[in-house]
Amino acid sequence: MARLVRAALTRTGRLIGIALAVTLAVSLVSGTFILTDTIASAFQAATASSTSTSDIVVRATAGFTAQANSLPEREPLPESLLATVAAVPGIQAMWATVQGYAAMTDKSGKVIAPDGLPTVGTSWAPGDILDVGRAPHRGEVAIDLTTARRYHLHVGDNIRILFQGGAQNFTIAGVLRRTVDIVAATKAIFDPNTATQWLGQKGEVDAIAVRAQPSATPATLRARINAILPSRFEAVTARQVADEAAQSWTKSLGFLTPGLLLLAGVALIVGALLIGNTFSILVGQRTRELGLLRALGASPGQLRRLVLAEATAVGISASLAGVAIGLGAAHGMLALVRGVGLSIPTSSVVFRIHSAVAGVVCGVAATTVAAFLPARRATLVSPVAALNGSATRSERARAARIGPGAVTTLAGATMLAAGSTHALPTLVATGVGVAGVLIGLALLLPVLAGPVAYAIGAPLVRLFGQPAALARQNAMRNPRRTAATAAALMIGIGLVGVIAIVTASMKASATAAVRQTLRADLVVMTSGTPGSSGGLPPSVADRLRHTPEVGLVSEIRAGQWGLGGATETLLAIDPATVTDMHEVDAASMAAVHQLDDTGVLVRDTVAEHHRWKIGDLVPMTFARTGTRRLPIRGLFSTMAVRTDYVISLKAFAVNYAQPLILAVDVKLAKGVTPGLAEANVRRAMSDLPVAKVMDRSQLLASQQAQIDKYLSPVAALLGLAVLIGLLGIANALALSIHERTRELGLLRAVGMARTQLRAMIRCEAVIIAGFGSLAGLGLALGFGWASVSAVHDLGVTELVVPVGQLAMLVAAATAAGLLAAIVPARRAANLQVLDAIRDSH
Amino acid sequence: MTMLMTAPELVESWARMTAKATTPAARTVNAVKIHGRGNTSVRALDGVSVELEQNRFTAIMGPSGSGKSTLMHCLAGLDTLSSGQVYVGDKELGTLSERALTKLRRDRLGFIFQAYNLLPTLTAAENITLPLALAGRSADPLWLELVIDVVGLGDRLSHRPSELSGGEQLRVAAARALVSRPEIIFADEPTGSLDSRAGGSLLNFLRRAVDDFGQTIVMVTHDPVAASFADRIVFLADGRIVDEMFEPSVGRAVEHMKYLGG
Ligand SMILES: Nc1ncnc2c1ncn2[C@@H]1O[C@H](COP(=O)(O)OP(=O)(O)O)[C@@H](O)[C@H]1O
Ligand SMILES: [Mg+2]
Repeated sequence: MARLVRAALTRTGRLIGIALAVTLAVSLVSGTFILTDTIASAFQAATASSTSTSDIVVRATAGFTAQANSLPEREPLPESLLATVAAVPGIQAMWATVQGYAAMTDKSGKVIAPDGLPTVGTSWAPGDILDVGRAPHRGEVAIDLTTARRYHLHVGDNIRILFQGGAQNFTIAGVLRRTVDIVAATKAIFDPNTATQWLGQKGEVDAIAVRAQPSATPATLRARINAILPSRFEAVTARQVADEAAQSWTKSLGFLTPGLLLLAGVALIVGALLIGNTFSILVGQRTRELGLLRALGASPGQLRRLVLAEATAVGISASLAGVAIGLGAAHGMLALVRGVGLSIPTSSVVFRIHSAVAGVVCGVAATTVAAFLPARRATLVSPVAALNGSATRSERARAARIGPGAVTTLAGATMLAAGSTHALPTLVATGVGVAGVLIGLALLLPVLAGPVAYAIGAPLVRLFGQPAALARQNAMRNPRRTAATAAALMIGIGLVGVIAIVTASMKASATAAVRQTLRADLVVMTSGTPGSSGGLPPSVADRLRHTPEVGLVSEIRAGQWGLGGATETLLAIDPATVTDMHEVDAASMAAVHQLDDTGVLVRDTVAEHHRWKIGDLVPMTFARTGTRRLPIRGLFSTMAVRTDYVISLKAFAVNYAQPLILAVDVKLAKGVTPGLAEANVRRAMSDLPVAKVMDRSQLLASQQAQIDKYLSPVAALLGLAVLIGLLGIANALALSIHERTRELGLLRAVGMARTQLRAMIRCEAVIIAGFGSLAGLGLALGFGWASVSAVHDLGVTELVVPVGQLAMLVAAATAAGLLAAIVPARRAANLQVLDAIRDSH
Repeated sequence: MTMLMTAPELVESWARMTAKATTPAARTVNAVKIHGRGNTSVRALDGVSVELEQNRFTAIMGPSGSGKSTLMHCLAGLDTLSSGQVYVGDKELGTLSERALTKLRRDRLGFIFQAYNLLPTLTAAENITLPLALAGRSADPLWLELVIDVVGLGDRLSHRPSELSGGEQLRVAAARALVSRPEIIFADEPTGSLDSRAGGSLLNFLRRAVDDFGQTIVMVTHDPVAASFADRIVFLADGRIVDEMFEPSVGRAVEHMKYLGG
C-alpha cells in the first residue's frame, strides 16, 4: 500500500495544479485567523496602555444601550460636578477631561491624517508622561511620539492645528512618551482652557478622571462617588472604560472575520471542485492500472484508500505551504482592511498555532472530501478493465439531466426571487435559492457544455481552421469534464460579476438620488472620520446664511436614541426648507408639512412593522432628556437622507446637547454667477477644515468613491477564485494532454505542425474558459439581480448591469485561457512524435 | 510462369521497368541508428542501404527486434539517423528542419500504423480528410469518392472510430493515407491486430492502390502471408539487410523467415 502511494506520488507533476489551488485557499483561511488574532492583540495592547493614568472615570450615563458597533453618545458634565466629586474621601488627584477633533498640519501645511483614523485633541491629564519638553501652557501643545517622529516635529516648532470651529497656531512644548492609542492616529494635548475653547463648551467637561489614594481600592472609591452623584451620572473604573472601548472596536470589526472566512470558503469550494475534477481524470486515466491491481488481488477498499491517501498527502503538503503563505496574506489583508478605512492600531502580526491548525484542517478536509467521489469510482473498476483496450472512456452528458437540472435551477431562482422581494423570509429563501441554482447548474452544465463549446468555437474555427475544429471536438467530447473544469471559473466570474452589478447599481442609485431629488446647489458636509469627530460646528449654518451669494440654507442633524433597548438613529430637519433642497413624493411632502416641534415622522414601512398609525405615541429615549412620547405626525416613504425617523431641528435642540450638524444644504441666491458664488462659499469655509463644500458633481464623485472603496477590495479577493479557476483549466488541460499523448503523436505524424498543435491547445483552453465565463455571467446576472433586489429597501433602487464591464470581465477571463494554455501547449508541442505513436506505449 | 503476357500485365511490367529507370521513391545510404547511450545502447540499424522503387509494393520483413520499425520511421522522417542518409525523392531528410519534415509528412507521405490510427473525436470521413484539412486544402471530390468506394466504407463514413471494427478502422486509415495522393504510403504491421479475413481485405486494397492507382507502398510486417502481397520483400536481421525476394509467394517467404530464425 505505502509503496503504491509512493509510486502514485511520483506523478506529482500532475498534482501541482491542485496543490497550488489548495495552497491559495488555505493561505486565505490561515491569513484570516492570523489577521483576527493580530487585530485582537493590537486592541488589547492599546487598551492596556491607555488604562494607566486614572483609576475612576465619572461620566454621564448612557440613555440607552449603544448600537452593537459604536460607543453610546454621552452628554457632557457640568463643571460644577468637579466640586461635588472632590468632596469624596480617598481621592489622590482628579482632573477634568475634554476631548474633540484636532488635526495637526505638517511643515508644508498639509493635514496629518494617517490611516484614516480619527485625529484627537484632549486636555492635559496629570497622568500624561512626557518623553521630552513640558506640559503645554496657553498657546502650546504636546503631541504624541509617533506623529512627532514620523513628521519630524520637535519641541519649539510652530504648527497649525485645525479644530471643528477654526484653526490656531501652537508651539510644541512637549512630546508624549506614549505612542499607542486605541482609537487615535494623532493626539494633541492642550492646557484645560484651550481645550475647553476649541474642543468643548464653556462650563462643561466630557468626563472627570480620578486617581485613588493607595488606601482606597478603585472599587470602594467608585462606590463612594456613585453614592453622591446625581442620577444622570456614573462613576466607573478606568478599566471598564477601556474594556468597553476595546469591546466596541472588536465588535465593529466583527463582520471582518466571517466575511473573510466566507471568501476563504469560496476559494476552498472552488479549489475542491478543481481537486475533484483532477482526481476523477486521474482515476479515469488509471483505469487499466487500477484494473490490473484488482486482477492481482487488491480489494476495492484498498483502491479507495490508495486514491484517498494520495489526496490526503497532497492536501497536507499543500496546506502547510498555504499556512506559510498565509502569514504574507495576513499582511496583505491588514493593508486591505486599513485601505477601506477601518481603524486598527499598529501591531506586529500575531501567529498562533490555531491559525495553522485551521488552515491544515480545512485544506486536508477539502482535498479528501473532493477526492471521495473519484475514490469511490476507483473501487468500481473491475479487474477486466486491465484487459480492456481503451483506457479513457468519453462520458457523454445524458439528456436526462435537462429536466431535473432546469427544474432545480428554476426552483432555486424562484426562491431567490421570493427572498429578495421579501415574499418569504429572506435568509432562508436566499440560502435555499442559491443552493438550488448551484445544484441545478451542476446538472445542466454538462448538457450545456457541448452546444456552448460549439458556439464559442465557431469564430475560432473560422479564424484558425482545423486546429480550432479539433480543439472544439476535444472540448465537446467529454462534456462532464469540460463542465467540471469550467465550473470553478464559473463561480469565480459569477461572484466578481455580482460585485460588479451591485457596485454599478449602488452607484446608479446614488446618482439617481442626487440627480432626481437633490435641488440644493451645494452641500456642506464633514470631511472628518464620522464618529468621534462628529460633524460640522453649528456656526457653519450661520456663516452660510451670512454669505451674500447664499439664498437658502437648510441644515440636517443626526442623533441616536433608544427604542425599547435597541438603538435607533434619527434625522433632524427644518420642515420649512428641507423640501426646497430635496424633492420628495407628494405623501412625504404632506408629512413634512405636518411636522411640528413636538412630533415625529416615521417611514411608512417601519410604521407598518410596528403597527403604528398617525397620532400614536413613539416612546423615544434620549441621552439628555430620558424617555419621551412623541406623537406621529405623518408617514413618509422618501426623505432627504435615508432614515426611518425624522424630528424638527427645534425638537433636536431640546433633546440633544451635541449641536453638531450632519450636513448643510445650500441654494444660491437668484441671479448670482454659480462659479463665483461657489468660490465665495468655499472661502467662507476655508478656516473650517472639517467642512467640505461640494457641488452636485463633487457629491456624486465622493459617493462613487465611497462605494468603490468598500467593494473593490471584495472584488479583488474574489479575483482569487477566478485565478484558481484558471489554474483548474491549466491543470485539466495538462492532464488531458498526458492522456492524449498518442492522439497528439498521430496528429503530428500525419502532418500537424507544432504551431498548429499549440494553437489547438490554446483554442481548447479558450473554449473552456469562455464556457466558464459565460456560465459565470449567467450566474452573475441571476445573483446580481437577487442581491440588488434584496437591498432595494436600503436605497439601492436601480438595477444596473454594467454591460461593458461584464463583457470585459468575460473577455478577459476567456483570453486568460491563453495563459492557462501556456504550460500544457508547450508540453504538447515538445512531445516526441515517435514516443507518442510507438506501440509499446 | 507462362511466356505469354496479358495486355494489362504487359503494361504493368513496362511501368515497372520505366519506374526503375527513374529516381527511387525513397532510399537510404549506409543508414545507422543507435538507440540509447552507453552500455544500454542498441544498434537498431547497422548500415542499411536500400532503394524503394516508385509504383511498387515493398515489404520489409524480419524477426521481432530486427529494426523494421526503426527503418520505416527513419524513412518517413519520424526519426533521425545516427549516421548515413535517407532520401525521399531527391530530398535528404537529414538536412530538413522540423517544420519542413512536418510539411513533408503532411504533403508527400501517408501512414498506416499498427494501432491507434484515428482521432476518436472525428468521424471516419473527417479522419480521412484530416491531413488535407491540416494543410488547409480540400479533397478532390472524385478522387475521394473513388478511394472511399475502393476501401468499401460508403455507409460507415459518419461513424466515429469507436463505432467501427478494427478492420474498418484500418481501412479508414488506409483511405486517409491514400486520399492526399502521397508519394509513399508507409504501413507498420497493418494487419497485426486483424483476423485473416479483415487482414486480407486490407492487403487487397493496398495491392489495388499500387496496381490501379500507381501508389508506392512500404509495409513493415513479420507475417509471410501479408508479405506475399508485395512485389518485393526486403529481409532485415539485426539491423542489416540480409536478403531480398521479388514476386514472392507465401511459401518462399515462410521458408526464408525460418532460415532467418523469425
Ligand atoms: N526508443 C528506443 N530506445 C531504445 N531501444 C529501442 C528503441 N526503439 C527500438 N529500440 C530497439 O531497437 C531494436 C529494433 O527495434 P524495432 O525497430 O522496433 O524492431 P522491429 O520493429 O523489427 O521489431 C530493438 O532491439 C529495440 O529494442
Ligand atoms: Mg516494430
